[in-house]
Amino acid sequence: MASENYHDDEQLELQEKQHPVIADLCLHLSNNKKSPSISSGDPPSADKLAPSSSSKTSKRSSIPLPVAAIRVLLNVIRRSRAETMMGLQADLREASDVMVTFAKRGGPIPPTDFDDTSSNNSTQQQQQRYLLAGRSHIALSSGCELFLKYVTRASLETPDFTSCKSQVLERGERFAEFSIAARDRISSVGGPFVREGSVVLTHGRSRVVESLLLRAALVEKKRFRVMVLEGRPDAAGAKSARTYEKNGIPTTMVLDSAMGYVMERVDMVIVGAEGVVENGGVVNKVGTFSLGVMAKELGVPFYVAAESYKFTRLYPLNNSDLPEMGGIGESLQFLDTLNWSASAKKEESTSTSSLQDVSDYIVNLPSTVEIQNPPCDFTPAKYITLLFTDLGVLTPSAVSDELIRLYQ
Amino acid sequence: MGAEETPAAAAAAAAAAPTKKEKKKPTNLVIPPKKPKLSKAERRALQEAQRAAKADTHGGEKPKPKKGGSDGGTASKGAGTEEKRISSSSSAPEGGAVVDGDGQENSSLAMNPDKKDDKMVSLFSHLPQPKHTTDQLLSSISSSNNDNNLLHPAVPTLGHLYQTRSLLGGNARCRAMLQTFALLLQSYTPPPDTRDFRVDVDHSLLKPAFQYWTTQCRPHSVSMGNAFSFLKLAVANLERDLEWNEARDILLESLEAYVTERIQYAGKAISRHAGSKIQERGDVILVFGRSEVINRLLLDAALMDGKTFRVIVVDSRPLLEGRDTLEILSRAGIPCTYVLLNALSYLMMREVTKVFLGASALMSNGSVLSRVGTACVALLANANHIPVLVGCETYKICNRVQLESITGNELGDAEEVAFTDCARVEPSNRWGEGKKKDGGVLSDWKKQPNLKLLNLMYDLTPSSAVTGIVTEVGILPPSSVAVLLREMNPDSAFKGTD
Repeated sequence: MASENYHDDEQLELQEKQHPVIADLCLHLSNNKKSPSISSGDPPSADKLAPSSSSKTSKRSSIPLPVAAIRVLLNVIRRSRAETMMGLQADLREASDVMVTFAKRGGPIPPTDFDDTSSNNSTQQQQQRYLLAGRSHIALSSGCELFLKYVTRASLETPDFTSCKSQVLERGERFAEFSIAARDRISSVGGPFVREGSVVLTHGRSRVVESLLLRAALVEKKRFRVMVLEGRPDAAGAKSARTYEKNGIPTTMVLDSAMGYVMERVDMVIVGAEGVVENGGVVNKVGTFSLGVMAKELGVPFYVAAESYKFTRLYPLNNSDLPEMGGIGESLQFLDTLNWSASAKKEESTSTSSLQDVSDYIVNLPSTVEIQNPPCDFTPAKYITLLFTDLGVLTPSAVSDELIRLYQ
Repeated sequence: MGAEETPAAAAAAAAAAPTKKEKKKPTNLVIPPKKPKLSKAERRALQEAQRAAKADTHGGEKPKPKKGGSDGGTASKGAGTEEKRISSSSSAPEGGAVVDGDGQENSSLAMNPDKKDDKMVSLFSHLPQPKHTTDQLLSSISSSNNDNNLLHPAVPTLGHLYQTRSLLGGNARCRAMLQTFALLLQSYTPPPDTRDFRVDVDHSLLKPAFQYWTTQCRPHSVSMGNAFSFLKLAVANLERDLEWNEARDILLESLEAYVTERIQYAGKAISRHAGSKIQERGDVILVFGRSEVINRLLLDAALMDGKTFRVIVVDSRPLLEGRDTLEILSRAGIPCTYVLLNALSYLMMREVTKVFLGASALMSNGSVLSRVGTACVALLANANHIPVLVGCETYKICNRVQLESITGNELGDAEEVAFTDCARVEPSNRWGEGKKKDGGVLSDWKKQPNLKLLNLMYDLTPSSAVTGIVTEVGILPPSSVAVLLREMNPDSAFKGTD
């Protein structure tokens, strides 16, 4: 089983690769597991076309990381040979620790090229890392914690092991489904906040926000405009923009740095969350904090849409107090897109030749320049107006109330 | 139009006046003559005349009672005053600004031989004055009791520690109180004729002792109050038919459990939760005064977790409790800096990374009642975007809501403010005459007219200035204190319309 020995990275990689839990997790993440209860406005994401996990082109499914983790834990229960509840809980605890460790490490090593020529091992590792790219381990650990608490409570109610196990499995299935249905509930409570004729600004690629806005447009038949920040370095915003336009919502794309410039013309800001922390703040894609401060300064309401399983018992005091999160790579590519696109026009290039042109416009930095690429930042509660959750619309101070109740 | 109206109005007034007079004359009532309405200058002159007359009669030794516009509250306090000019501007109990009212204070107050009233600040006149002499204490022991019940000697012993402020700190006072109660319970036997010893225990043992401490020595802290409520509840929950021996053992066990769980273990849990917020190295932590909980968590972080950090101890007069903190922490090898409160802004802007504060009580809206000066530290930290963590056990949560520092506070001995020479004050040992050495600019402050000294013990930090409150259940935002209160007392929670 996976050890905690961080000094031997390669050894650890191999062990992780072979660990059934990790394999299972990646399977769930890359498979197109269709969410059962999709509202009519669900985005037909391009991700769903991926057939298998071993192909180079496998995309990520739209399934949230915690839900995949819970499915994995359910499989652990099915596979477990434990005879007592304590044994089962130990298995679950171990599996969840392995997953969280994997998610935490899911990035720091810089990726090599996505070539077919590399050996199968590293390709698989690449896949695994890619599947976790940019996702924070916070939601994963909080989802696992909640599920474990769920199991513990069930075990206290039903002393008999076999019946308890089947009950836990059944509850676990319901839990997984509930988590998926949460998105629909959030869309229905949050939809009314989108006013006719308004301009909505979003950041990052959140499935929850997407389903909320699509529902407002397609089901509630409101007309509004979406403004999207580009979302470097993973072009998250660009991908969302594609989705919105496909569904007929007029969309505007701007650079991340233009958020201050456009804030005056925006009526509301809505973002998703990787995790909602105990003091009511949120951890989300880097840039959310700036957006929050900007919105508060200019009097624009700032909403966060998040499922309740993302509530976690973390209490960051400020941005320096966040736990370590690996980014997909500490290496960023710095591309002078302004001049590159100018040059491409001149040459009337086909798609292949424009790829070659790019390398001329990449700015190569000496290795002594330190690059920091935090994937997430922390937005304190005072910048957040309201949270849309499957428990309803909450104020930031209600999050702690909820957590106290959940973790009692 | 006007010509017609005024005769009508005059007629109406004339009609009204006689009816008023008629109403006012029942025969058996003696109506005192009405005082003529004086203007401000006239009233002043009158008072000066009265004062001069009194100065002649009383030999002129009395300090001139210049209260400069304060009245109302003090008027009600002064015993045996004849005429009271309580103006409507006596808003002192409401915590409003001191109004320089028209009414000069009634000069009859000067006849009161108790000089303290002259030096009382009217804004805080709703708070009990600090108790002073030992003689007063001793005489009150024998005279103040009901039913000729003498107090157990442990009670005035502890009372003396409270009154002289030798025993400071919410936890220390509460523990001492519970230990004394344990002693009392052990030496108590119910009188043979009682049917229900629970009533007797409460009536003759618990209540007199607590009242003695609170009224004769020093107002009780929230921690003491909550613990006392717990003890009374434990007594009330005893079964009716128990033998006293069994009941006593149960009570002693409950007391023991209370101290162990809610003070000791809570402190350990707080240390663990807060410790996770201290980084492995490089933190510069600011603390204020002396807090048992904060000292514990800093020692644990340094000694048990092996973290490297610096501590800045901020201290303030007159209690100078920070010296104990400094001693404790530096003995453990933690690098410390010691400053007084006036150097706070210099440090805060430069190097402080976190602030840890203790608390005497938590209000249910999340504001923190703590040693005076704490609010300063918290607000300044807030202004510099430095996180403020308050460590407080849940037994100190008070279901009161307080909005500012004036309504619920405690007055300390004003003499301590007068004595300005820090170097000569013995640390934490304030009883005995030795400390009142000569010298000091303010040694004759009592003779100074228009000079009052104010020594407050507590202040209130608003909940917006606190980043997080560390309790034994975890780190919570201040808005969740009410949730904790609800969870701890599920029976008294508001159920809504079910």
